[in-house]
Amino acid sequence: MIGNGNGHRPPVKTPRRIEPAHGISIAPTGADDLRLRVQQLSLREQLERNHFLLERLNASSARLIQTLENGDVFEAIAEIVANLIGSEEVAIFDYRPADETFSLAWSWGVEAGDLQPFESGAGMFGRAVHQGLSQFRERQPDAALLPFEKNLTACVVLKSSREVVGVIAIFGLLPQKNGLEWADYELLKFLETYAAVAIQFQRLQEKQVAS
Amino acid sequence: MSTKKILLVDDSCTARLVNRMIFSQKTNYVLISAVDGKEAVERAQREKPDLILMDIVMPRMTGLEACRALKKDKETEKIPVILLTTRGEEQYVQEGYASGCSDYLTKPVNDVELLDLLKAYLGE
Repeated sequence: MIGNGNGHRPPVKTPRRIEPAHGISIAPTGADDLRLRVQQLSLREQLERNHFLLERLNASSARLIQTLENGDVFEAIAEIVANLIGSEEVAIFDYRPADETFSLAWSWGVEAGDLQPFESGAGMFGRAVHQGLSQFRERQPDAALLPFEKNLTACVVLKSSREVVGVIAIFGLLPQKNGLEWADYELLKFLETYAAVAIQFQRLQEKQVAS
Repeated sequence: MSTKKILLVDDSCTARLVNRMIFSQKTNYVLISAVDGKEAVERAQREKPDLILMDIVMPRMTGLEACRALKKDKETEKIPVILLTTRGEEQYVQEGYASGCSDYLTKPVNDVELLDLLKAYLGE
Protein backbone atom coordinates (compact mmCIF):
# COMPACT_ATOMS: atom_id res chain seq x y z
CA MET A 1 0.00 0.00 0.00
CA ILE A 2 1.30 3.46 -0.85
CA GLY A 3 -0.21 6.19 1.35
CA ASN A 4 -3.40 5.93 3.42
CA GLY A 5 -5.84 7.88 1.22
CA ASN A 6 -5.83 11.10 3.24
CA GLY A 7 -2.86 12.66 1.58
CA HIS A 8 -0.48 11.60 4.25
CA ARG A 9 2.07 8.93 3.76
CA PRO A 10 1.96 6.23 6.40
CA PRO A 11 4.70 6.46 8.92
CA VAL A 12 7.82 4.91 7.58
CA LYS A 13 8.70 1.81 9.47
CA THR A 14 12.38 1.55 9.95
CA PRO A 15 13.67 -1.95 10.36
CA ARG A 16 14.85 -2.39 13.91
CA ARG A 17 17.94 -4.39 14.35
CA ILE A 18 17.70 -6.64 17.38
CA GLU A 19 20.97 -6.64 19.14
CA PRO A 20 22.02 -9.82 20.85
CA ALA A 21 22.10 -9.79 24.61
CA HIS A 22 25.43 -8.76 25.92
CA GLY A 23 27.99 -11.47 25.49
CA ILE A 24 25.84 -13.67 23.17
CA SER A 25 27.06 -13.96 19.60
CA ILE A 26 24.60 -14.65 16.73
CA ALA A 27 27.40 -15.04 14.19
CA PRO A 28 27.22 -18.56 12.73
CA THR A 29 29.47 -21.03 14.39
CA GLY A 30 31.71 -23.28 12.34
CA ALA A 31 29.08 -26.04 12.43
CA ASP A 32 26.26 -23.64 11.47
CA ASP A 33 28.33 -22.30 8.63
CA LEU A 34 29.00 -25.80 7.38
CA ARG A 35 25.28 -26.67 7.59
CA LEU A 36 24.39 -23.56 5.59
CA ARG A 37 26.92 -24.39 2.95
CA VAL A 38 25.63 -27.94 2.64
CA GLN A 39 22.06 -26.64 2.30
CA GLN A 40 23.17 -24.16 -0.33
CA LEU A 41 25.03 -26.82 -2.27
CA SER A 42 22.01 -29.08 -2.19
CA LEU A 43 19.74 -26.31 -3.51
CA ARG A 44 22.27 -25.38 -6.15
CA GLU A 45 22.49 -29.00 -7.23
CA GLN A 46 18.69 -29.23 -7.55
CA LEU A 47 18.64 -26.23 -9.86
CA GLU A 48 21.61 -27.44 -11.88
CA ARG A 49 20.17 -30.93 -12.34
CA ASN A 50 16.90 -29.51 -13.54
CA HIS A 51 18.68 -27.12 -15.88
CA PHE A 52 20.86 -29.95 -17.20
CA LEU A 53 17.77 -31.94 -18.15
CA LEU A 54 15.89 -28.99 -19.61
CA GLU A 55 18.84 -28.04 -21.81
CA ARG A 56 18.82 -31.49 -23.30
CA LEU A 57 15.07 -31.67 -23.74
CA ASN A 58 15.07 -28.22 -25.26
CA ALA A 59 17.86 -29.03 -27.73
CA SER A 60 16.15 -32.31 -28.68
CA SER A 61 12.82 -30.63 -29.17
CA ALA A 62 14.39 -27.90 -31.29
CA ARG A 63 16.15 -30.53 -33.40
CA LEU A 64 12.91 -32.47 -33.93
CA ILE A 65 11.14 -29.27 -34.94
CA GLN A 66 13.80 -28.71 -37.61
CA THR A 67 12.95 -32.08 -39.16
CA LEU A 68 9.52 -30.74 -40.13
CA GLU A 69 11.30 -28.66 -42.77
CA ASN A 70 14.38 -30.76 -43.40
CA GLY A 71 12.76 -34.20 -43.56
CA ASP A 72 15.70 -35.75 -41.70
CA VAL A 73 13.95 -37.23 -38.69
CA PHE A 74 16.06 -40.40 -38.47
CA GLU A 75 19.31 -38.45 -38.66
CA ALA A 76 17.96 -36.12 -35.97
CA ILE A 77 17.16 -39.02 -33.63
CA ALA A 78 20.63 -40.48 -34.20
CA GLU A 79 22.22 -37.09 -33.53
CA ILE A 80 20.30 -36.74 -30.28
CA VAL A 81 21.29 -40.23 -29.18
CA ALA A 82 24.95 -39.70 -30.16
CA ASN A 83 25.44 -36.26 -28.67
CA LEU A 84 23.20 -36.38 -25.64
CA ILE A 85 22.94 -40.04 -24.67
CA GLY A 86 26.28 -41.33 -25.96
CA SER A 87 25.80 -44.08 -28.54
CA GLU A 88 26.67 -44.25 -32.20
CA GLU A 89 24.88 -47.54 -32.79
CA VAL A 90 21.23 -46.85 -33.43
CA ALA A 91 18.50 -48.60 -35.38
CA ILE A 92 14.89 -47.55 -35.81
CA PHE A 93 12.25 -50.17 -36.48
CA ASP A 94 8.65 -50.04 -37.58
CA TYR A 95 6.29 -52.36 -35.76
CA ARG A 96 3.29 -53.96 -37.41
CA PRO A 97 0.85 -55.13 -34.70
CA ALA A 98 -1.18 -57.21 -37.20
CA ASP A 99 1.59 -59.78 -37.62
CA GLU A 100 3.73 -58.67 -34.66
CA THR A 101 6.79 -58.03 -36.81
CA PHE A 102 9.51 -55.44 -36.78
CA SER A 103 11.14 -54.13 -39.93
CA LEU A 104 14.18 -51.94 -40.08
CA ALA A 105 13.38 -48.36 -41.07
CA TRP A 106 16.84 -46.85 -40.64
CA SER A 107 20.14 -47.66 -38.98
CA TRP A 108 23.44 -46.01 -38.15
CA GLY A 109 26.61 -47.68 -36.93
CA VAL A 110 25.14 -51.20 -36.93
CA GLU A 111 25.14 -53.93 -39.57
CA ALA A 112 21.76 -53.56 -41.27
CA GLY A 113 22.14 -57.15 -42.54
CA ASP A 114 21.79 -58.45 -38.97
CA LEU A 115 18.51 -56.62 -38.53
CA GLN A 116 16.24 -58.22 -41.11
CA PRO A 117 12.49 -58.26 -40.42
CA PHE A 118 11.73 -60.42 -37.41
CA GLU A 119 8.86 -61.40 -35.17
CA SER A 120 8.61 -59.73 -31.81
CA GLY A 121 9.57 -62.93 -29.94
CA ALA A 122 10.58 -63.24 -26.31
CA GLY A 123 13.48 -60.83 -26.15
CA MET A 124 13.71 -57.15 -25.31
CA PHE A 125 11.87 -56.07 -28.45
CA GLY A 126 9.01 -58.42 -27.63
CA ARG A 127 8.74 -57.23 -24.05
CA ALA A 128 8.79 -53.62 -25.21
CA VAL A 129 5.77 -54.03 -27.48
CA HIS A 130 3.84 -56.41 -25.24
CA GLN A 131 4.23 -54.22 -22.18
CA GLY A 132 4.12 -50.97 -24.16
CA LEU A 133 7.14 -49.85 -22.16
CA SER A 134 10.73 -49.07 -23.05
CA GLN A 135 13.18 -51.73 -21.92
CA PHE A 136 16.63 -51.11 -20.51
CA ARG A 137 19.27 -53.77 -20.27
CA GLU A 138 20.81 -52.50 -17.04
CA ARG A 139 17.45 -52.54 -15.27
CA GLN A 140 16.88 -56.21 -16.15
CA PRO A 141 20.33 -57.72 -16.61
CA ASP A 142 19.02 -61.29 -16.34
CA ALA A 143 16.06 -61.02 -18.71
CA ALA A 144 16.04 -63.21 -21.84
CA LEU A 145 17.61 -61.82 -24.98
CA LEU A 146 17.46 -62.88 -28.62
CA PRO A 147 20.86 -63.47 -30.27
CA PHE A 148 21.00 -60.10 -32.04
CA GLU A 149 19.98 -58.30 -28.82
CA LYS A 150 23.22 -59.19 -27.03
CA ASN A 151 24.70 -55.72 -27.39
CA LEU A 152 21.42 -53.90 -26.88
CA THR A 153 21.38 -51.14 -24.25
CA ALA A 154 17.84 -49.88 -24.68
CA CYS A 155 14.71 -50.58 -26.63
CA VAL A 156 12.74 -47.35 -26.65
CA VAL A 157 9.13 -47.72 -27.72
CA LEU A 158 7.73 -45.17 -30.15
CA LYS A 159 4.11 -44.53 -29.26
CA SER A 160 1.33 -42.97 -31.19
CA SER A 161 -2.00 -42.62 -29.35
CA ARG A 162 -0.71 -45.12 -26.79
CA GLU A 163 -0.01 -47.76 -29.44
CA VAL A 164 3.51 -48.92 -30.11
CA VAL A 165 4.36 -48.10 -33.71
CA GLY A 166 8.08 -48.71 -33.61
CA VAL A 167 11.21 -48.95 -31.56
CA ILE A 168 14.49 -47.07 -31.28
CA ALA A 169 17.14 -49.67 -30.55
CA ILE A 170 20.27 -48.30 -28.92
CA PHE A 171 23.10 -50.80 -29.06
CA GLY A 172 26.59 -50.18 -27.64
CA LEU A 173 27.35 -47.02 -25.70
CA LEU A 174 30.47 -44.95 -26.36
CA PRO A 175 33.53 -46.28 -24.49
CA GLN A 176 33.60 -43.28 -22.14
CA LYS A 177 29.96 -43.81 -21.16
CA ASN A 178 29.53 -46.32 -18.35
CA GLY A 179 25.77 -46.61 -18.44
CA LEU A 180 22.54 -44.68 -18.79
CA GLU A 181 22.00 -41.91 -16.27
CA TRP A 182 18.84 -40.35 -14.85
CA ALA A 183 18.79 -37.57 -17.46
CA ASP A 184 19.15 -40.16 -20.24
CA TYR A 185 16.03 -41.98 -19.06
CA GLU A 186 14.09 -38.71 -19.04
CA LEU A 187 15.29 -37.83 -22.52
CA LEU A 188 14.37 -41.28 -23.83
CA LYS A 189 10.90 -40.88 -22.30
CA PHE A 190 10.58 -37.64 -24.27
CA LEU A 191 11.62 -39.45 -27.47
CA GLU A 192 8.99 -42.18 -26.93
CA THR A 193 6.30 -39.68 -27.82
CA TYR A 194 7.90 -36.87 -29.77
CA ALA A 195 10.24 -38.87 -31.99
CA ALA A 196 7.17 -40.95 -32.91
CA VAL A 197 5.22 -37.80 -33.78
CA ALA A 198 8.08 -36.46 -35.91
CA ILE A 199 8.42 -39.79 -37.75
CA GLN A 200 4.68 -39.87 -38.41
CA PHE A 201 4.80 -36.33 -39.75
CA GLN A 202 7.64 -37.19 -42.12
CA ARG A 203 5.82 -40.31 -43.36
CA LEU A 204 2.70 -38.28 -44.13
CA GLN A 205 4.79 -35.72 -45.94
CA GLU A 206 6.47 -38.43 -48.02
CA LYS A 207 3.01 -39.84 -48.92
CA GLN A 208 1.85 -36.39 -49.90
CA VAL A 209 4.85 -35.86 -52.15
CA ALA A 210 4.39 -39.31 -53.71
CA SER A 211 0.69 -38.81 -54.52
CA MET B 1 33.25 -8.41 -16.81
CA SER B 2 34.79 -8.62 -20.29
CA THR B 3 33.01 -10.48 -23.06
CA LYS B 4 34.67 -13.56 -24.50
CA LYS B 5 34.04 -14.84 -27.99
CA ILE B 6 33.83 -18.60 -28.42
CA LEU B 7 33.80 -20.33 -31.80
CA LEU B 8 31.78 -23.53 -31.63
CA VAL B 9 32.43 -25.95 -34.48
CA ASP B 10 30.22 -28.99 -34.96
CA ASP B 11 28.38 -30.45 -37.93
CA SER B 12 25.70 -31.75 -35.58
CA CYS B 13 22.91 -29.29 -35.12
CA THR B 14 21.93 -30.98 -31.84
CA ALA B 15 25.42 -30.44 -30.45
CA ARG B 16 25.34 -26.76 -31.43
CA LEU B 17 21.90 -26.35 -29.85
CA VAL B 18 22.83 -27.95 -26.54
CA ASN B 19 26.11 -26.06 -26.29
CA ARG B 20 24.28 -22.80 -26.93
CA MET B 21 22.04 -23.64 -23.99
CA ILE B 22 24.97 -24.53 -21.77
CA PHE B 23 26.67 -21.23 -22.58
CA SER B 24 23.48 -19.31 -21.93
CA GLN B 25 24.26 -19.84 -18.21
CA LYS B 26 27.13 -17.41 -18.66
CA THR B 27 26.34 -13.89 -19.71
CA ASN B 28 29.85 -12.94 -20.75
CA TYR B 29 30.25 -15.55 -23.51
CA VAL B 30 29.37 -14.65 -27.08
CA LEU B 31 28.98 -17.70 -29.25
CA ILE B 32 29.67 -17.90 -32.97
CA SER B 33 29.52 -21.17 -34.87
CA ALA B 34 30.78 -23.09 -37.86
CA VAL B 35 29.64 -26.41 -39.28
CA ASP B 36 32.96 -27.90 -40.39
CA GLY B 37 36.71 -27.45 -40.08
CA LYS B 38 37.10 -25.39 -43.22
CA GLU B 39 34.51 -22.85 -42.13
CA ALA B 40 36.08 -22.86 -38.65
CA VAL B 41 39.51 -21.87 -39.99
CA GLU B 42 37.99 -19.10 -42.09
CA ARG B 43 35.91 -17.74 -39.21
CA ALA B 44 38.80 -17.93 -36.78
CA GLN B 45 41.04 -15.96 -39.14
CA ARG B 46 38.32 -13.38 -39.67
CA GLU B 47 36.87 -13.06 -36.18
CA LYS B 48 39.74 -13.99 -33.83
CA PRO B 49 37.74 -15.80 -31.14
CA ASP B 50 39.13 -16.15 -27.61
CA LEU B 51 38.65 -19.92 -27.70
CA ILE B 52 37.58 -22.62 -30.16
CA LEU B 53 35.48 -25.61 -29.16
CA MET B 54 35.57 -28.14 -31.99
CA ASP B 55 34.25 -31.56 -32.94
CA ILE B 56 36.61 -33.99 -34.71
CA VAL B 57 34.52 -35.96 -37.20
CA MET B 58 33.16 -33.42 -39.67
CA PRO B 59 32.75 -33.15 -43.45
CA ARG B 60 35.11 -31.15 -45.72
CA MET B 61 37.79 -30.72 -43.04
CA THR B 62 38.04 -32.66 -39.78
CA GLY B 63 38.65 -31.05 -36.41
CA LEU B 64 42.19 -32.43 -36.35
CA GLU B 65 43.03 -30.95 -39.76
CA ALA B 66 41.47 -27.65 -38.77
CA CYS B 67 43.42 -27.59 -35.52
CA ARG B 68 46.70 -28.19 -37.38
CA ALA B 69 45.84 -25.41 -39.86
CA LEU B 70 45.03 -22.99 -37.02
CA LYS B 71 48.27 -23.75 -35.22
CA LYS B 72 50.32 -23.14 -38.39
CA ASP B 73 48.83 -19.70 -38.90
CA LYS B 74 50.49 -16.88 -36.93
CA GLU B 75 47.15 -15.07 -36.66
CA THR B 76 45.41 -17.96 -34.95
CA GLU B 77 48.16 -20.10 -33.41
CA LYS B 78 47.62 -18.75 -29.90
CA ILE B 79 43.86 -19.36 -29.77
CA PRO B 80 43.20 -22.30 -27.42
CA VAL B 81 41.41 -25.15 -29.18
CA ILE B 82 39.39 -27.64 -27.16
CA LEU B 83 38.37 -30.74 -29.05
CA LEU B 84 34.92 -31.94 -28.03
CA THR B 85 34.02 -35.26 -29.58
CA THR B 86 32.33 -38.63 -29.24
CA ARG B 87 35.71 -40.26 -29.95
CA GLY B 88 37.13 -41.17 -26.55
CA GLU B 89 39.56 -43.86 -27.72
CA GLU B 90 43.19 -43.36 -26.73
CA GLN B 91 44.31 -43.18 -30.36
CA TYR B 92 42.01 -40.19 -31.01
CA VAL B 93 43.05 -38.46 -27.80
CA GLN B 94 46.74 -38.80 -28.76
CA GLU B 95 46.04 -37.57 -32.29
CA GLY B 96 44.10 -34.67 -30.82
CA TYR B 97 46.98 -33.49 -28.67
CA ALA B 98 49.42 -34.08 -31.53
CA SER B 99 47.34 -31.73 -33.69
CA GLY B 100 48.02 -28.95 -31.19
CA CYS B 101 44.79 -28.83 -29.21
CA SER B 102 44.92 -27.44 -25.68
CA ASP B 103 42.38 -29.85 -24.22
CA TYR B 104 40.21 -32.80 -25.15
CA LEU B 105 36.67 -33.45 -23.92
CA THR B 106 34.36 -36.31 -24.78
CA LYS B 107 30.63 -36.23 -25.45
CA PRO B 108 28.09 -36.41 -23.97
CA VAL B 109 29.26 -33.17 -22.49
CA ASN B 110 28.97 -32.41 -18.81
CA ASP B 111 27.96 -28.76 -18.24
CA VAL B 112 30.02 -28.26 -15.11
CA GLU B 113 33.12 -29.84 -16.60
CA LEU B 114 32.83 -27.77 -19.78
CA LEU B 115 32.15 -24.47 -18.03
CA ASP B 116 34.98 -25.06 -15.55
CA LEU B 117 37.36 -25.74 -18.39
CA LEU B 118 36.31 -22.60 -20.23
CA LYS B 119 36.72 -20.62 -17.03
CA ALA B 120 40.25 -21.97 -16.71
CA TYR B 121 41.11 -20.69 -20.18
CA LEU B 122 39.08 -17.51 -20.29
CA GLY B 123 38.85 -16.43 -16.67
CA GLU B 124 35.56 -15.28 -15.11
